[in-house]
Amino acid sequence: MNPFVHIAAFLTVLLAAGAETQGEIRFPPPEFETGYQFPETTTPAPQAVWREYLDAGVLVFALLLASHLVFVRRSRRAAFVLMIAALLYFGFVRDGCICPIGAIQNVTLTVFDSSYAIPIAAAVFFVVPLVFTLFCGRVFCGAVCPLGAIQDAVLIHPVTVPRWLESGLRLLAYAYLGAAVLFAATGSAFIICRYDPFVGFFRMGGNWNILLVGVCLLLIGLFIGRPYCRFLCPYGVILRNLSRLSKRRVTITPSECIQCRLCENACPFGAIREPTGDWPEGEYKIAKRRLALFLVLLPILPAGGAWGGYASRGQLARVNPRVRTAERVYLEETGQVEGTTDVSDAFRATGQTTQVLYADATEIRDRFGVGGALLGGFVGLIAGGKLVVLSVRRRRTEYEADPASCLACARCYRACPKEHERIKKNKEAAARHR
Amino acid sequence: MADKQENVTRRKFLRDGLWGGCLAGAGAVAGLSVARNNRDNLVWQIDPYKCIACGNCATYCVLEDSAVKCVQAYAMCGYCDLCTGYLVPEPKALDTAAENALCPTGAIKRTYIEDPYYEYTIDEALCNGCAKCVKGCMVFGNGSLYLQVRHDRCKNCNECAIAAACPSQAFKRVPADQPYLLKGMDRKE
Amino acid sequence: MTQETKQLNIWYQSARTTAVVGAVFAGLFTVLLVVNLFGSAVLGPSRETRLAAMQHQAQKDPTNETLLSEVRRLDLKIRQDRLWRLDFAERTAFALLGSVIVLLIAGKIAYDLGKEPPRPQHGTTDRGEMQVREGRQARWAVAGGLAVLAVGMTLLGMMGHVRFAQAQDAEPPFASMQDKQGQWPRFRGPGGAGVSAYANIATSWNGKTGEGILWKTAVPMPGRNSPVVWKDRVFLVGADPNARKVYCFDARSGRLQWTGDVPTVPVEEPLELMEDTGYAACTAATDGRRIYAIFPTGDVAAFDFNGRRLWHKNLGMPDSAYGYAASLETYEKLVIIQYDQGDGSEGKSKVIALDGTNGRVAWETKRDLPNSWSSPVVVEVEGKPQLITVADPNVVAYNPADGKEIWRAECLGGDVAPSPIYAGGLILAIEPYAQLVGIKPTGQGDVSKTHVVWKMEEGGPDICSPVSDGTYVYLLESADLLICCRIEDGHKLYEQKIKGDFRASPSIVGDKLYILDMKGVMRIAQVGPEYKELGKCELGEECFASPAFADGRMYIRGVEHLYCIGKAQ
Repeated sequence: MNPFVHIAAFLTVLLAAGAETQGEIRFPPPEFETGYQFPETTTPAPQAVWREYLDAGVLVFALLLASHLVFVRRSRRAAFVLMIAALLYFGFVRDGCICPIGAIQNVTLTVFDSSYAIPIAAAVFFVVPLVFTLFCGRVFCGAVCPLGAIQDAVLIHPVTVPRWLESGLRLLAYAYLGAAVLFAATGSAFIICRYDPFVGFFRMGGNWNILLVGVCLLLIGLFIGRPYCRFLCPYGVILRNLSRLSKRRVTITPSECIQCRLCENACPFGAIREPTGDWPEGEYKIAKRRLALFLVLLPILPAGGAWGGYASRGQLARVNPRVRTAERVYLEETGQVEGTTDVSDAFRATGQTTQVLYADATEIRDRFGVGGALLGGFVGLIAGGKLVVLSVRRRRTEYEADPASCLACARCYRACPKEHERIKKNKEAAARHR
Repeated sequence: MADKQENVTRRKFLRDGLWGGCLAGAGAVAGLSVARNNRDNLVWQIDPYKCIACGNCATYCVLEDSAVKCVQAYAMCGYCDLCTGYLVPEPKALDTAAENALCPTGAIKRTYIEDPYYEYTIDEALCNGCAKCVKGCMVFGNGSLYLQVRHDRCKNCNECAIAAACPSQAFKRVPADQPYLLKGMDRKE
Repeated sequence: MTQETKQLNIWYQSARTTAVVGAVFAGLFTVLLVVNLFGSAVLGPSRETRLAAMQHQAQKDPTNETLLSEVRRLDLKIRQDRLWRLDFAERTAFALLGSVIVLLIAGKIAYDLGKEPPRPQHGTTDRGEMQVREGRQARWAVAGGLAVLAVGMTLLGMMGHVRFAQAQDAEPPFASMQDKQGQWPRFRGPGGAGVSAYANIATSWNGKTGEGILWKTAVPMPGRNSPVVWKDRVFLVGADPNARKVYCFDARSGRLQWTGDVPTVPVEEPLELMEDTGYAACTAATDGRRIYAIFPTGDVAAFDFNGRRLWHKNLGMPDSAYGYAASLETYEKLVIIQYDQGDGSEGKSKVIALDGTNGRVAWETKRDLPNSWSSPVVVEVEGKPQLITVADPNVVAYNPADGKEIWRAECLGGDVAPSPIYAGGLILAIEPYAQLVGIKPTGQGDVSKTHVVWKMEEGGPDICSPVSDGTYVYLLESADLLICCRIEDGHKLYEQKIKGDFRASPSIVGDKLYILDMKGVMRIAQVGPEYKELGKCELGEECFASPAFADGRMYIRGVEHLYCIGKAQ
């Protein structure tokens, strides 16, 4: 038999015009004689949507309970139990996703990308803790956030971090927030999710590099309380600034401060501020001049930061996959690099012209120019503002919890003798009632 | 004294104003989200017409056992004896022997139906999402084997790690009530 | 020590011990997880590479039973190992979690029990001074942090980024018809005419002594396709039943610059083709940016000039009696394939145009014609491009931009292998052993009765395509005969017996006719109404392919070598 006919029986020719390389029906589906039925491709469903709403409900309930436990019951033990429960539910049961920290990015994307529709649960997770913070301070951080809870759970031997180190490191958190918003707004990446150190533990799997960072942070967290919360958390940046305006504040003493100084080392997160003393004589004049200097610097630092951010737009833009594709294809087209990658092969298979690709990448870079400038300006402004704030004289007469740094964990209450008085009084009142 | 009182009230007024502003801001965010919301959740899925079968799905998933599995579009399958998705290139024989099978985990099951047709099904417990069979079927066959995110396994991360690593940007967010992008005979580009 | 203190002490001791035990277990499980990770990340892939090597070996050595069972054993081991490791990792992770919880609880209890009660420090500390100092330190820390970020940003800014040159976009993705005129971009040059754009071609050389030969390079794989030349590159295609390659040679030195590989669809039995056709009968084509090649297995591929394969596809095995042999043509950025098959009744034949940049089908036109072995040509008629194809019995012209038929003429028959040319205002097509037909290409629709200007019915070649200078057209039979006709009316001017077998099509250089026979002997004759031989040159090697012409150079492919003939500069 003619070999060509034999082979042709196995490989038939292309069908109608328009069929492409992918998914062309080269071999027509057979007509079965034995009555064989085509099975269906199975489609297991994702988790039901009511789980999202349940999570939102649990969040509200937990926040209400936390506020009650911290402000009314004033009980560390109860707050601790709530924190562990939140760790178990939001962390291990719901795999730590979606969290309010990540929700920053979803909300940013909703603002900047009209084709993205935010799931209601993500919006709730972002807004509700903010609203609670405006009323009760950072109760979310203290007793509800699973990332904070896992760090708090490993804190065994707290070591004090010097104040100056705290101030310096906190700039990182502001930069992280700015960067996260920038990359989310340009649709490039969700870096908070990508570099979340603890989610790997919650879902029992993940990128080994990030898991290692998580392990290191937890090992550090054995001694330094909540390092991620204090120095890295972008949501914490928002909460600390809102907490400064909150209606109710955590007070160490339930009544008045008797200056006994027993609470000085009670906070593992360095949030307790002692009463201010008088400065040495010449200091006031120096401080006034310094303040004037920093006020002058206040517009310059953001300007410098903006320029720096704008200059970095080329590298910042590389986080965006479209820009990376364009760069790779350009290098290949101009012969500066050998061979191809999956990315450039995939691009060429789409049939798009390189013109369109380069134009897209240039447009994204321009957006990063604006965004980078805003990011740099933002960080510069924050640093400048912090310098100004640190030059202004504070006046405190009591031992206070700094509303920005206080995580509402209720640890410091037991250090205060007035608290012990209150507890004794409550016990006596309860005994009398019986 | 009165001066200080005034200062205090002015500061309090500023503070309250700022507080109100922040609350309004939170409300604005909530409002915007409600206006542009997806009542249902969004889940990840692979567009099979963009997928180039690069193999990243097996290695980039945050789960050790990737949530991406190969599925079979039975209506598109040719049921060929010489299945280029099942067999290695230039197989010694058209059978199920290990040296002839392309799948590294043995997840494709080949069953005889009638002459000369064989049925190919995927055992998801064994599939690791490496896309070797997808490539073979896509380039030389009908393209009936393709990858899909399986939602009974997927954790639905806010940012899918595979989506970030996909060279052809084949991952997209789809509504949770229509979570699959299946291949069918009538689906065009 | 009081009772209470003793009890507390016991609790403290036990808590501490438990914590230590928990820590030890946690450490142990972490080590196990790390070892497991090492196993799956390192051992697994190394085993897989070994398996792949063994499978490769087993294919070469099909009868080795021990090797085969080794392959199966290793394959099974890899699969089982993978599942076991997944299971192990999950269990160890839970055990680790458990031990960490024990460690934390015991550790916390131990710490709480062992803690000193809070004690205010004695002695006054000057709060004011301390706060001033703290303030100063904090300001420096903020400045330091800002400096670190600034350095970071500066570094990022200095790293620079790839700038997309604007000029790139201005260049069209294909060479214009004009650019093609000065190159040899396809079988028999632009328009398939076989006419050199340069008259400064050598008229004497000797392949055996090396006189007149600029360079000679061995071609790794055989093929009867002709060289394609674009600026400083010469392209050839080679193939055998198991492999298909595209070669790029440097036009100056003859060095083989790169070899491109074209994969194919796996088949049950390897393809067997007529020896006369071979596995690489089709000549490649270029549009000035990419080189395209097609093979009788139905595989088409495109490479850029640096050797990178851009795309490849398989069109399905062509049903062609003597083996598929049509060479490619290009139009703008499309690569055009005349895919004639079968006997005409099954509707298998078609003309396909693929987008050269990505291989997608731009258009496809079916035709009710049987298999043919001629190549299509794109010519410009009255300023508009036409794609001319010849088969039995029709000559059909299409619009190369969209594949729509312009005109067709029913005038041929037989197994059509010679390709058409456009000369003297006419399309010249050949019916082997029968006739030469002249058609005016200015019609629309069926022009069989209206635009066939003349027919020269005294025979025609079965393989070689014709060549013309606009006045005279030359036909070369596959054995011993050269025919010259007048284009004006098709009148045969002379028949010349030339001893030899001919597969290469004749070419015209200036006013000279170049005729290459199978032994590698090139006869140079005067173009005119009478045969006048001007010279004979020997290559010293068998030749089947038609020569290619560039500025001052001619490229001839022998069965083993590619020759470049010309004068050294």
